Amino acid sequence: MSLVLEPVRARSLPPSVWPLAALAGLALTGPFLAPQDPNAQDLMRVMEAPSIAHLLGTDHVGRDILSRVLAGAPHSLGLAVLCVALASSVGVALGLIAANSGALVRALIMRLADLMLAFPGLLLALLFAGFLGGGIWPMLIGLKLALWPQYARMAEAVATSVLREGHVEAARLAGFPELTILKRHVLPSVLRAVMPLATLGVGQAIMSISALGFLGLGLKPPTPEWGAMINELLPFLAEGFVQMAAPCLMIFVSVLTLTLAGQALASNSTGRAQ
Amino acid sequence: MNTVLRVIMLRIGQALATAAVLASLCFVFVHALPGDLALRVAAARVGDERVTPETADRIRREEGLDRPLIVQYGQWMGNLAQGDLGRSLLSGKPVKQELAYHASFTLQLGLIGWLLSYLIALPLGIMAGFRPGGVVDRITDALAVTLASLPSFLVGIGLITLFALTLRWLPPAGFRTGAHMVLPAFTLALSLVAFSIPVIRNAVVEVRSAFFMTYARVKGLTPAAAFRHHGVRNAAIPVVTYAALQFAFVIDGFVVIETLFNYPGLGELLVKALIARDVPVIMGAGLVIGFAFAVVSLLADLTRLWLDPRGLEEARA
Amino acid sequence: MTEAALTISHLSIHDRSGAALVDDVSLSVPRGGVLTLIGETGSGKSLIAQAVFGLLPAGLSVSGTITIGGHESIPASEPKRLAALWREQIMLIPQEPSAALDPTMRVKRQMALAGLQEEAIKPALAAFDLPGSTADAYPFTLSGGMAQRVLVASALGVGAPIIVADEPTKGLDSDRVTQAIAALKRLSAAGRSLLVITHDRRLAEELPGELAIIRNGRVVEHGPSAGLLSAPQSDYARTWLAADPRHWPRCHRCCDMTSLALSAHGLSFGWPKGGMLFEDLDLHLPKGGVLAISGPSGSGKSTLGDILLGLRRPMAGSVEWGGLDIVAMPSAIPPLRQRYQKLHQDPITAFVPHLTFARQFLALEDVKSGLSAARDLPPLLERLKVNHRLMNRRPCEVSGGEAQRLALARILLLDPVAIVADEPTSRLDPVVQRETMQLLRATVDQQGLGLVLISHDQPLLAAIADEHLALGPRA
Repeated sequence: MSLVLEPVRARSLPPSVWPLAALAGLALTGPFLAPQDPNAQDLMRVMEAPSIAHLLGTDHVGRDILSRVLAGAPHSLGLAVLCVALASSVGVALGLIAANSGALVRALIMRLADLMLAFPGLLLALLFAGFLGGGIWPMLIGLKLALWPQYARMAEAVATSVLREGHVEAARLAGFPELTILKRHVLPSVLRAVMPLATLGVGQAIMSISALGFLGLGLKPPTPEWGAMINELLPFLAEGFVQMAAPCLMIFVSVLTLTLAGQALASNSTGRAQ
Repeated sequence: MNTVLRVIMLRIGQALATAAVLASLCFVFVHALPGDLALRVAAARVGDERVTPETADRIRREEGLDRPLIVQYGQWMGNLAQGDLGRSLLSGKPVKQELAYHASFTLQLGLIGWLLSYLIALPLGIMAGFRPGGVVDRITDALAVTLASLPSFLVGIGLITLFALTLRWLPPAGFRTGAHMVLPAFTLALSLVAFSIPVIRNAVVEVRSAFFMTYARVKGLTPAAAFRHHGVRNAAIPVVTYAALQFAFVIDGFVVIETLFNYPGLGELLVKALIARDVPVIMGAGLVIGFAFAVVSLLADLTRLWLDPRGLEEARA
Repeated sequence: MTEAALTISHLSIHDRSGAALVDDVSLSVPRGGVLTLIGETGSGKSLIAQAVFGLLPAGLSVSGTITIGGHESIPASEPKRLAALWREQIMLIPQEPSAALDPTMRVKRQMALAGLQEEAIKPALAAFDLPGSTADAYPFTLSGGMAQRVLVASALGVGAPIIVADEPTKGLDSDRVTQAIAALKRLSAAGRSLLVITHDRRLAEELPGELAIIRNGRVVEHGPSAGLLSAPQSDYARTWLAADPRHWPRCHRCCDMTSLALSAHGLSFGWPKGGMLFEDLDLHLPKGGVLAISGPSGSGKSTLGDILLGLRRPMAGSVEWGGLDIVAMPSAIPPLRQRYQKLHQDPITAFVPHLTFARQFLALEDVKSGLSAARDLPPLLERLKVNHRLMNRRPCEVSGGEAQRLALARILLLDPVAIVADEPTSRLDPVVQRETMQLLRATVDQQGLGLVLISHDQPLLAAIADEHLALGPRA
């Protein structure tokens, strides 16, 4: 008779984990890897082509592009992660509360989510960023307000269906407290459903943050955020193709990694459900 | 047909609620900003250097900024309810006039881009759906993932680099001729295609694998007839729903794309107003965008009800 | 034997790993006659139907030939040639009739597309007791039984001489089964040759003609239906026939009504918009007794079970747990909670999907004082004939019968006074159903607990229960 817990099976990690880890590493260490001061101007060497001194060339005020791209990683990637982490935790919490509450509270939360979803895409973030003058917080608040409803909806839908399942009733009949049921029965399913959405969401957030930066409504210059860099370099597109390509590629590769990982997670969790 | 009526009422209610929230948000922002509001308005009207305490006081009296906030809020919402959006702080022109001018540009770009995107996505998505796992499917999948990972301004920059700077076939920016429309419209279309191809493909795959399609053939229909009678309508339901949803994405898209191409649409107007803190214009543009969103959602709801009888009958039961 | 309408010869179906799902099956349907294939889930019987149509799922390899009507034999591996005979020669009544209808198209247009004349549609529907309004309905407004009769009506209208019905009674309750059987008999009476695939004994007994029992992809026994049912030759056929609740030994007992596990008086319940389900209902469940509750779907059986367990409040009346009225005094529930338990219809979903059984049993120690899973569980599992290796599996990794015994084990660890079992075996195969039911009955007798058995299966209830409460059809 072996009631002993099985050893935790070393689950093979999906291959999409490694690029994700590389991205996280970049976001954490980017500024320390920068070979030069990302904000050091050198007006004698503007829009220079790549050379040994400046591997990716210089921008319109002579700053080193490679250093700026690296130093920009925590802004572009880190903020996106923070934003999605905030939005998804608020959304999941509200969704769980809605699923566990009476009709009134549920209706209140879910109608609020509907209302927020009636605002198209970037509009809220644009308004916040525009009025409050750019910077980190207006952007975070704006994006968070726009993003939480999808997590709340998904959490509410999954939690409501799990709460109707036999094992929840069995646990109630066995006398388990509601909090234990929430933790052991409901939360794992909710998180499994939310994870792919959040992974894709980080990619979307990177795009939104860079779009705000590109519009001149995101982080304030001279912060080396990728979208803002593209905005600054745009007038010099004809002269500095490599310089422009660097932040563009960074955005593309980051979002692509997250999109692929999100899709892998999504097909993984639906595959397991069958 | 009370379901149809209810859907319309729901969307109207949603549009009104959106408008109220937006207007209140603008009001709060305007009054919560640090500094004297009258001074800021004066600065916007006559220029920073020429503002004197007297002009500020005159503006304070004229605009009623010395009254209690709640009265001002009532006035603000009242004006709005009457359709009075005020004048632009920047140009001094009525906001309505500005909006009408810019909205027509956006509508043009949005419609052309949206139609173009389905012109591209429908054949590709359907071809991919007919042979899941085939060559077309794998190519379109790679294309969709790539495009989905590119913010629209990157797509635009890529197109400008290729067609305007390198090949010199098309003008990089502006709005005067039809040639100016090509790059912005394609940029918008490619951003939309990234998401509509998989939706169309999956709809086709799902319908083709539905048992009623097989059964239609057991009943004696040819594969083509089965798809014509049973496939098209069922596949159209998710596609139509999604096509309308994409309007939300069009908005992210056109704000950025118009700015990139210097195209004088609503998005460009909104961004300029945001940078200049031109509150009446910001609010007006926000309201028009929010309202357009509600209208498109309503059209999508109605189309879906028309295509899919389940919605109607379930609501009736 | 008369000339065959449909002959299947040496049909074998293998999956990718090479395992035989159907192994050298040769059968034939006589012209104008009926052949019923019966077998458990996974016996390969539905694959045979799919092979006849060339509709096997991708990845299976098939050999053997199909001969339809006077046509030449067609290798089963050439689905295109089989497809050429669809509608003109052979028609299918599929397992899930609702999925066979386009959800966005009215019934009459779908029947017209199948080739029925516009004016023939309503009479065709009427012949199968479907109202004329069915023609204008969308498929999702029809019940499974109605959708099936629409397909039967179309099949008759189309004129194919051979009709294959795959699981025509699956998911139908007892009255609807009678209707489905009548519909099939009408097809037979109209001169069509029928191949019927089923797991339902009733169908095998009521349809005339021949019967073949399939097990593990082989024909175990084949012969005229009446003879096979009354004098089965093979061991499997005998076990299988004995699994019919009507052949179980009766085990009614007269119970001691002085010691009640559960009782209820004057219970009433109805949905806000749907009228009353039941009114002024009295019931008594003695310790060591089995009370059956039956009724058609929608009659409120499960709701009554939930009321008895204190999971739902009745509109009027009382429920007494050991003399305490839990309706008037909800505070009496928590201390007695663990002693009133439920056995679910789908035992696999009664366990948390992502945890092993071992973990889920261990967790019970948190809520049941004095329980030691390591000490109490092994003898229990032995008694319930559960292999202890199952403990390290997750719910999706065991069979329905195993999961139901594990669910019973979990409940018994909580030392219950009464158990409400809601259709506990409706998703199990007959032989497993019999084992599970006998186990339940034995547990009730040994432990002296009360069992409320909710089911729509009258013979099953008659075989197992001491008392019977029938809820009426929904008003």
